[in-house]
Amino acid sequence: MADKKRKERPNANRAKKKSKSSDIRLKKTGPRLPSSLKKEIQTLNPNNVDIDDVDSDVYEYEEDLPEEESKKNKRYDPVSVNDDLDSDFEDEDVQSDDEIGDDDDENALDDGSGEEDDGRHVRMLQGITGMPTETFEGNKKTMMKNTAVPELYPESEYNPSRDVLDGDGHVSIEDLLNSLRENPDYHKLRKRSQQIENNARTVYAPLPMADQAKVDRKVAYEISKKQVTKWQPIIQRNREAPTIYFDDQINLGFSTIGAIASEFEPRTDFEKKMAALVHDDKVMEAHKNDGSRLLELNKVSIEDETDRQNRIAKMRSLLFRHEMKAKHVKKIKSRTYHRLLKKDRLKAESSQLEMDNEAAKEYAIKRDRQRVEERMTLRHKNNKWFQHIKHRGLDKQDEGTLAAVKELGQIRSELTRKQHSMYNSSSSSEDTSDDDDDENTVDSDLDKANKLLIKAKQKTMKVLEEDEEIPQSGLLSLPFMRRGLEKRRAETIEDVNLTLQEYEDSMKKLEDSGGSEDPKDASTSGRRVFGMAKAKTIDAGNNKVKLDKFYDNSDSEDDLDARKSGNFENGGSDLAQTDVVNNSVLNQEVVDTRKQSVFKNFDEIVENPGPKTTYEVSIFASDTWKKAKNRSGIDTDIKKSPKFTEPVSHNIKNTEKELEEDSDTDNEGQMVDGILTSASKPSYELPSQEELIRQAFAADDVENDFEKDKQEILNEENPEPEKPLLLPGWGQWTHVQQKKGLPSWMLKKHEDDQRKREEALKKRKDAQLKNVIISEKLSKKAEKLHTKSLPYPFTSKEVYDQSMRMPIGPEFNPAIAIGSLNRPEVVKKPGVIIKPVEFEEVNPHDKPEQRTVKNKSKKAKGSDSKAIKKSKVKGKS
Amino acid sequence: MEETHDNDTLPNNNPSTVQDITDELELRSKKYLRGEGANLKGLKDKKLRTQLSAREQLYGQSAKAAAKTEKWLMPSDGGYLEAEGIEKTWRIKQETIGREVDILSSRNQYDITLPDLGPYTLDFTSSGRYMAVGGRKGHLAIVDMMNLSLIREIQVRETVRDVVFLHNELFFAAAQKKYPYIYNRDGTELHCLKEHGAVLRLQFLENHFLLASTNKFGLLLYQDVTMGTIAGKYRTGLGRTNVMQVNPYNGVVSLGHSAGTVTMWKPTSSSPLVKMLCHQGPVSALAFHSNGHLMATAGKDKKIKLWDLRKFEAFQTLPGHANTLEFSQKGLLACGNGSYIQVLRDVSGAQNYSKYMTHSMVKGYQIGKLAFRPYEDVLGIGHSMGWSSILIPGAGEPNFDSWVANPFETPKQRREKEIHSLLDKLPPETIMLDPSKIGTVKQTRKEKLTVQEREAEIEAAVEAVKGKKLKKKTKGRSKAGKIMPKKQDAIATAKRPYLEQKIQEEKDISRKKQKTNEGVELPKSLQRFARKKPSS
Repeated sequence: MADKKRKERPNANRAKKKSKSSDIRLKKTGPRLPSSLKKEIQTLNPNNVDIDDVDSDVYEYEEDLPEEESKKNKRYDPVSVNDDLDSDFEDEDVQSDDEIGDDDDENALDDGSGEEDDGRHVRMLQGITGMPTETFEGNKKTMMKNTAVPELYPESEYNPSRDVLDGDGHVSIEDLLNSLRENPDYHKLRKRSQQIENNARTVYAPLPMADQAKVDRKVAYEISKKQVTKWQPIIQRNREAPTIYFDDQINLGFSTIGAIASEFEPRTDFEKKMAALVHDDKVMEAHKNDGSRLLELNKVSIEDETDRQNRIAKMRSLLFRHEMKAKHVKKIKSRTYHRLLKKDRLKAESSQLEMDNEAAKEYAIKRDRQRVEERMTLRHKNNKWFQHIKHRGLDKQDEGTLAAVKELGQIRSELTRKQHSMYNSSSSSEDTSDDDDDENTVDSDLDKANKLLIKAKQKTMKVLEEDEEIPQSGLLSLPFMRRGLEKRRAETIEDVNLTLQEYEDSMKKLEDSGGSEDPKDASTSGRRVFGMAKAKTIDAGNNKVKLDKFYDNSDSEDDLDARKSGNFENGGSDLAQTDVVNNSVLNQEVVDTRKQSVFKNFDEIVENPGPKTTYEVSIFASDTWKKAKNRSGIDTDIKKSPKFTEPVSHNIKNTEKELEEDSDTDNEGQMVDGILTSASKPSYELPSQEELIRQAFAADDVENDFEKDKQEILNEENPEPEKPLLLPGWGQWTHVQQKKGLPSWMLKKHEDDQRKREEALKKRKDAQLKNVIISEKLSKKAEKLHTKSLPYPFTSKEVYDQSMRMPIGPEFNPAIAIGSLNRPEVVKKPGVIIKPVEFEEVNPHDKPEQRTVKNKSKKAKGSDSKAIKKSKVKGKS
Repeated sequence: MEETHDNDTLPNNNPSTVQDITDELELRSKKYLRGEGANLKGLKDKKLRTQLSAREQLYGQSAKAAAKTEKWLMPSDGGYLEAEGIEKTWRIKQETIGREVDILSSRNQYDITLPDLGPYTLDFTSSGRYMAVGGRKGHLAIVDMMNLSLIREIQVRETVRDVVFLHNELFFAAAQKKYPYIYNRDGTELHCLKEHGAVLRLQFLENHFLLASTNKFGLLLYQDVTMGTIAGKYRTGLGRTNVMQVNPYNGVVSLGHSAGTVTMWKPTSSSPLVKMLCHQGPVSALAFHSNGHLMATAGKDKKIKLWDLRKFEAFQTLPGHANTLEFSQKGLLACGNGSYIQVLRDVSGAQNYSKYMTHSMVKGYQIGKLAFRPYEDVLGIGHSMGWSSILIPGAGEPNFDSWVANPFETPKQRREKEIHSLLDKLPPETIMLDPSKIGTVKQTRKEKLTVQEREAEIEAAVEAVKGKKLKKKTKGRSKAGKIMPKKQDAIATAKRPYLEQKIQEEKDISRKKQKTNEGVELPKSLQRFARKKPSS
């Protein structure tokens, strides 16, 4: 109790009455007493009740234990509570001046008894002071009176304490002590009082609770702040470190199987049993000795053995019975039974299908497989039985067979039914290259030829169509060029027409190949006469004319012929044979893009069987040098048939054509010239006329063209705003409105748009460059090479871009730099346990480059700490 | 007398003091730093700042290490001709050079006369070890340049317009009369690329494994030679041309057209990236410096222009024709015209090219193609009478990196490298004008979102918020009355940024309007009082 009192003392205003009220308070705070007990107490101590009544007056504030002391919860940290206590203890020996009278007694009493009573108190006072009890009683009464008066105001000169009011002045300790002179403890007491007096100092009134708490908190905050901030450098270092290592100093050790086995500890029941057996002393001993005892240990009782045998026999019989049953079930031939069985199975399956997605998928795959199998093997269509039935005739079969056949068909149709869920039809796009497709025709010769001819016809038509395009811009759009082009096209059209005719003729010919041919048939075209059937009867004069025609009509001749001519030459001029060959030639020739009747060629060759053709063949063996062929043909004409009337004119014509053709031809022309003239005297010719013209006129209006181009592209990339458009009739009811014109907002909007466009144009990279167009189109495919937004820690684009400027791959950096450039943020070996951060002294100002060193030292430290831990463990054990 | 001085462009080889050494290292390492680091002072994020500064430090270390390696491991320096007194470097003849140089180098001066099969075109492998030659009249050959032995020679018996090596010497493509073909080293025809048509010029993009061609109809076609897919097929719409060159830096293919324009293409866009008017007449030749920002064009308007591709401006215009142009590894520019070759050199390094060497072929020889042999000071000349080779001191890179191109490659190394390069193959999308932009933030579209798009965006955001499930909380905090305002709040917060943006935009517009309309708004009588802006 005394302890309690002491604790309460800091509350200055309460201190005075403490001596009196402590009991009461104790009662109040203590367990609630039953009313009978209370009565007893009242009779025992009527004064007390009085006080109690007075004390519970509204005016007096009763404070119970401070919350810190109640320790109901741990909201108050021990430090602050301790502080409280400390200040209390300091107070112990010191007393306030105005309390001396009371408190001194109290102090004295404190050493003695714990419980106190008013009566006893008076007696005690009497004993100490030697004064009669009455005085004390009176004193007490006055005191009572005084205490009955509530002190609303703090003690001050305006509100003097009761001692002053009573007028009995100060009672010093000396006074009190003087009466104790005889007491043996007097010395002690005096010494103590002197001590107190010597060390006298003023004790300030304790702060109010709230302020005190504030101060406490402040101090506590300072302390805890210090504690927390000491971690800051460590945390900062970890945060800023490009890499954190967790794998330093892991000693995996050298573990052998034996080592691992020796560490084995039985944990499960089974393991324990095994261990018990293995480590059984008897067994060990037996092993150590000769092992004969092992046999003894092995003994099995007869009962056990019989039990075991019985069990096995039972199992066997069960198994046998099951087997027999299965056999029996398997042998059942009853249809109904199997049907039911199947039904059951299907049911189960279907229910499973519905339930299980996976199963459904599997089923679908199975179905698919079945379908494919069926389609491949045609098991239900081509099986022997069915074939047999079919062979015998379906109408002859009985009903059962027919039903079976029907069922077969059903199964088949079911199996081959397409599964929509699995496949989507894919049409393979076939590459129809022109030259490849006519190889695998299996039809008869005539058909083939016919087809080829038709195809050739189509192709020529196509060529005709293709030729129709006229270039719109550039050099070829110049008027004279265009004229030339037109002229040429007319020629080609003519050619094509002729060739078409020719095809038709040959087709006809093929149709009535067996029939006799009338030379007069050729009246429509000169060509007909050259039919292969006629070849024998052609006379020289005729030939000349025809050859003429040939040269007129065919500006695009095929080198194929040349090859053929070679062939024919070798074969000699056996017409019967060539006839045969001709057919094949016809077939082949039509394949080529430039069609030509072979008949003439053939004739020509027949006419000119010169030995020099071998030379040609060697040059033109490859099938594509068309122009060269032309020339060579002419050459041969010149050489071999001097009877020709106008070879020179042919030549001229040919060269003219050459000039009209595109520049590629004159390349070839050059080359051919080189070959034909002489190999030893190569010379670069002047650029052809066409090229000269192109060069001469190309520079004409280049800049304007470019400007136009640029404008177009600008318009395309930054389109011009639409002109304000008024719906007819809208806002035009009267002529007044019409006069007003477009509404102002429309005009404004248009203006805005225009302004925006101009701004956009100004911002373009090529705004200042007159002769450059830089496309501003964003490519969608390249989008994935860029980040969509700034990655997290970055806030400015420049910084990010700069940080990305350096490649970090091994191709771009020396080997020593790659490791540090590409190290991950955390380096850790699998299985390493990451321990919580340990406190260590870190200089917060050290630089990152020292950190590497630091890391090493840290490693060393790690080993140290390990050593410490080991010692700790030792200490523990 | 003239001599080939072995000299480096960098400061002297034997620096006197430590200071000099560090300076030199710094100079060298600058190249490897690839530009300045960002200014980290302005960064507010401390963590990021320290991370970035650590990164920069690493970069610095790497660059320094690279500079050191360069300094100590590069065995030889490039040389060039240096004139004394009134001598001029371009007066020096091949014969005089041949007399001065070692035997091995003098063996690189030769003429091979093959008059029959027409003008020749050449191509070197990237290591410079092998050369493919194509005669116009069908003569194809591969020559080992190390010992000048003919590896294979075939006669295709039709026009050959161009030859080009693929990624190594095992394969080469030839543009023939109708189609380009791919042959292997033994002369076996592997592929006929019919899709290309009659190709005039072929180019191979090594990093992307693309074969680019331009054909008679002005069609530009890219074919992936690994998979055989067509990566791009575009009509240029500018007529046929046989002027085509790949920018080795970024893989952009440039075409020179008859209207004096040069267009630059990438395989993923149907319109040219850049179209520039370079000449008044047709463009006759085109070449790129290996650093990617230097282009040389020659036109029929008797001008040779040198362009800075970073600014798209011509920084130098020289008079003269050129049928063919070629940059060497060290940046020498060779121009061939008729039977005359001129080599230009940027002496000061300040983008000022001047005449360095000249060479005249036998009169009548028409130069068709010039090609510098990589890692050698040799210029290969394909002309109408065969091919020749002359020495141009200072043309080639003196040191080769065997990881990049190894002239002494063994078959095993070649195989390894082939696999490596296939694994490192770049997709065609990576071809762009500035490949260093890869990995940076995507360019935002300039056009603003339409009203509908914006509304849709807001709606999506609101939906996302609505879809979120609230936690079920006890003690009456999950009452409907509590949840409702919470939900509304969430929706409002989701909408807020959009609305704020809108308001901001409106504000901007109104402010702008005010600015622009200040002068206009005033009535005429008051306009004279309006404050006049201090214009210019």
